[in-house]
Amino acid sequence: MERADERRDEALLAAIAEGDRGALRILYDRHSPWLLLRLSRRCSDPGLVDEVLQDTFVAVWRKPRAFSGRGEVGAWLWGIAIRRLVDGLRRAGVRERLVPRRRPSLEGLRPSRWAGAAPSAEEQVLLAVEHGDLAGALNRLSPELRAVVQATVLDGLTTQEAGRLLGIPAGTVKTRMMRARIQLREDLT
Amino acid sequence: MSWHAGEPLLVAYAAGDIDDARAFSLEAHLLACPSCRSACARLAGRTRLDEAWAEIVDRVDRPRQRVAERVLMRLGMKGHTARLLGATPSLQLSWFAAVAAALAFGVLAAYAGDRGLLMFLIMAPLLPLAGVAAAYGPGIDPTYEIGLAAPMRGFLLLMVRAGAVLTSSTVLAGIASLFLPRLDWTAAAWLLPALALTTAGLALSTVLDPVRAAGIVGVAWVTGVLVVERLAHPSFAAFRGTGQLVFLALALLGVWIVGARRDRFEITHDE
Repeated sequence: MERADERRDEALLAAIAEGDRGALRILYDRHSPWLLLRLSRRCSDPGLVDEVLQDTFVAVWRKPRAFSGRGEVGAWLWGIAIRRLVDGLRRAGVRERLVPRRRPSLEGLRPSRWAGAAPSAEEQVLLAVEHGDLAGALNRLSPELRAVVQATVLDGLTTQEAGRLLGIPAGTVKTRMMRARIQLREDLT
Repeated sequence: MSWHAGEPLLVAYAAGDIDDARAFSLEAHLLACPSCRSACARLAGRTRLDEAWAEIVDRVDRPRQRVAERVLMRLGMKGHTARLLGATPSLQLSWFAAVAAALAFGVLAAYAGDRGLLMFLIMAPLLPLAGVAAAYGPGIDPTYEIGLAAPMRGFLLLMVRAGAVLTSSTVLAGIASLFLPRLDWTAAAWLLPALALTTAGLALSTVLDPVRAAGIVGVAWVTGVLVVERLAHPSFAAFRGTGQLVFLALALLGVWIVGARRDRFEITHDE
């Protein structure tokens, strides 16, 4: 069994810039799984998700030096992927919008009630310590507000891009963000 | 890192079975944690990822399309034709930049007086002539050998290229002439000569190699215009009514010769 390549992601990008296809493969093996999972949570169309994944790595092959060197390579890859997804959704029209893949019956339930995903006591403590009750407050937001928070805060999209991703006007994104902020602030203080 | 995602959490995440807040937390964590990322590898479909990789390799191995090629394909041209056309040396950005620069100098010269305008009118028709000469032939064309093996007849390829070069040069010169100080008949007086010179160059290249043919036509043109300018009384004599008719006649003659001797373009130019 081969020893897994131990080069850092930045070193792989440098190799890709020299035309090393093997380095692209290694980068792909490292990052495609989580990219696939994360994209699938934002788009229910597997064909589009596959296309976005391919587009992302072809873009990495063509312009590996576009990575500024600041921050994580993973974050850079996600930035490429989410923007391709936004473009892809805009082209595909309203049909395949963001669809949460959660089972609806689990909405808003406390973590301990979920079968098979119960966080351990340690995890619960860690979450409470790290985030205050941010997790609870986030979960108490309505799905539309949470979707906007996810798009702008977690995925780093602009209001325009978030609007395209979610299929709503940019103005609605702004008002929902405002409502989300207000609600979170009230909930946490 | 103090906290890592356990397997159950990742499984739940992959299945869509966790709340958003924990998903946010996990996703942010994954950006920075290589070991949890590799834990994901077991959860995302292996076949799906392998198929995606095969597609990526396909696309990465495909040769990049040049700008000219992409524009042509957008206009509806077939792939192989667009590729051969896109490789024309005189349809590259660098060529257009050179043409634009030459035209700019010409326009500036025209502001210095009538002699300057004459220089513009002499120069503008030389541009498509040079462009067509640079569009094909063993010395200049990087795709010459490929073109020999192409299923398209050499003559047709040449016509397509010459047409593209002529059109693009004419459009650029047309735009430049909008900036001339006098917007009268002189602003378009180069049009027929351009056509005449180009067809003359093509016609002559059935006998000589394209670069030499273009050179001869170019020299003849410059000399001819200057001589006429010296001998005749009105300014721009070569470009007035009679002159334009002569150019039209030359253009038609050139087209006829090119058509009649088109099989000459199929033979390799190794003279």
